[in-house]
Amino acid sequence: MADGIGERRVIHSALENSTLTDTHSDEINYRPVAVMPDVKVIKLGGQSIMDRGRAALFPVLDEIVKAREEGIQILVLTGGGTRARHIYTIASELEMPTGVLAAVGGYIPMQNARMVQMLLAKHGGIFMLIDDFEKLPLYIQLGCIPVMTGMPPFGYWEQRGQEGRIPPHRTDAGVFLSAEFLGARRAIFIKDEDGLYTDDPKKNSKAEYIPRISARELIERDLPDLIVERVCLEYLGRSQWVKELQVVNGLEPDQVARALRGEEAGTIIYQDG
Amino acid sequence: MSSDLLTGDGRTHIKSKLMRESLQDRDVIRSTDSDRDLKIYPDVALVGIGGQSIFDRGASAILPLVEEIAEAKQEGHRMVLAVGGGTRVRHTASIALDLGLPVGGVAQLVGAMEELNAVLLNALLAKHGSMTMQRDHFWELPLYLSAGMIPIAISIPPYHLWEPPPEEGHLPAHGSDFGLFQLAEVLAMKQLIFVKDENGLYDRDPKKHEDAKFIPRIGLDELLASDFEENILDKQLFKSWRVARNVNRIQIINGLSRGQLRAALRGEDVGTVITREDNGESPGKEVSNG
Repeated sequence: MADGIGERRVIHSALENSTLTDTHSDEINYRPVAVMPDVKVIKLGGQSIMDRGRAALFPVLDEIVKAREEGIQILVLTGGGTRARHIYTIASELEMPTGVLAAVGGYIPMQNARMVQMLLAKHGGIFMLIDDFEKLPLYIQLGCIPVMTGMPPFGYWEQRGQEGRIPPHRTDAGVFLSAEFLGARRAIFIKDEDGLYTDDPKKNSKAEYIPRISARELIERDLPDLIVERVCLEYLGRSQWVKELQVVNGLEPDQVARALRGEEAGTIIYQDG
Repeated sequence: MSSDLLTGDGRTHIKSKLMRESLQDRDVIRSTDSDRDLKIYPDVALVGIGGQSIFDRGASAILPLVEEIAEAKQEGHRMVLAVGGGTRVRHTASIALDLGLPVGGVAQLVGAMEELNAVLLNALLAKHGSMTMQRDHFWELPLYLSAGMIPIAISIPPYHLWEPPPEEGHLPAHGSDFGLFQLAEVLAMKQLIFVKDENGLYDRDPKKHEDAKFIPRIGLDELLASDFEENILDKQLFKSWRVARNVNRIQIINGLSRGQLRAALRGEDVGTVITREDNGESPGKEVSNG
């Protein structure tokens, strides 16, 4: 060290010598506290629900409103859909880095959240910005139905995936991570299929339905396509609170209601015990 | 908005290559790629200043570095600064973990501790044209840099409450080093320089081992394969670097040693230079300051 330079002034704590990214946190007896474990975190699919318009969305919203009236606490997050695919197509042609795709891709779920809020307003629908997340208890206490973008706030800080430019963390990841932060047991995805298939059932009529599967088994199957973003499976392997991903068909009556009541419906992907 | 809308399967699509596609489909994901990423700010350097290593030492370490930054600006270097949070970050995290807060809660809390350092740095550099920059205002960088400003960016990435569950332990994996790396990567910045209180990378922690061997230059693959006890930068940074496109060189220098920062900004091999063997898309050229 050069002469005359002061020592690091350290605040003593269990992590004072930690590089903050290694395993020194073992020294702390971590007893996790769930933040709001009773909130049901649900995603309205972009391409699967929103882009179908009124025909698909209104019945789903009816079930959400009814469940909220029964006292179930709900946080609604929205997906992007075809407009996101359109901007990803153009941005990819322009060779934009993944972080830029994530930033521009964030605008569309936001639009969808605003649309849903307008429809839910008379039932207490509240549009919530990411930065307002800490106001969630207020909205829930008031009996509101908070609606927020599903896109996590990574934006320009989103890393490239193993291949391609598409941001690996999109609105499914945002739903998963919101549920994990809140300490919820399940992250619920409302799509336009009964759940998971061995391939895209819209393209392959021989695709087989999978009602229940563990995250590890699903990763090991290495399917060419999946109904949820791959990072959700990876995180389900090590999440503290979220133990199940539930994918239900919003086009079928009562599926959303059953998922909100915590019942079995659609496909369950579960954490290995 | 004419013939670009397609209906017929119950959904309304906009015509595009990814229309109707599952964005989880591997072939679809692959089809979005090419062998390069756009380079947004290839003539701007990013300089990350250590929280523990520089700021926690106080005036005797900070003031000479501030002078050197002012000199570097006089020499015409276009740079963005950022600063870490240091020991207060560690204290915050240790209290938060004792309370049992989730990893996203810890991630949400720690950023404030580096902002304090950014305020101090800005106060010291203000007369030389520094300014603290809002989170994603880097589209205004051309304006700031043309006006001769030294913007101070936020180094912690905005993962906040949405920090993914860590592979090990209970601390957020996406810290300040990763945040700066990602900023340099997405903006394709010319250089990424970490200013610490050691000459660079050693095979062991030089603060604990007198015989620690200094490593002036190393490749990313070799570094990852090595069993060095202590990495001077966050693990997540190296993990991300493997799939990254733009950053080919990271330099770690000693901010307590006068002149190293300016030398690094001139493109000289001071401190430790970590290079990534190119993925083949562009020649592995050394960074030089034009």
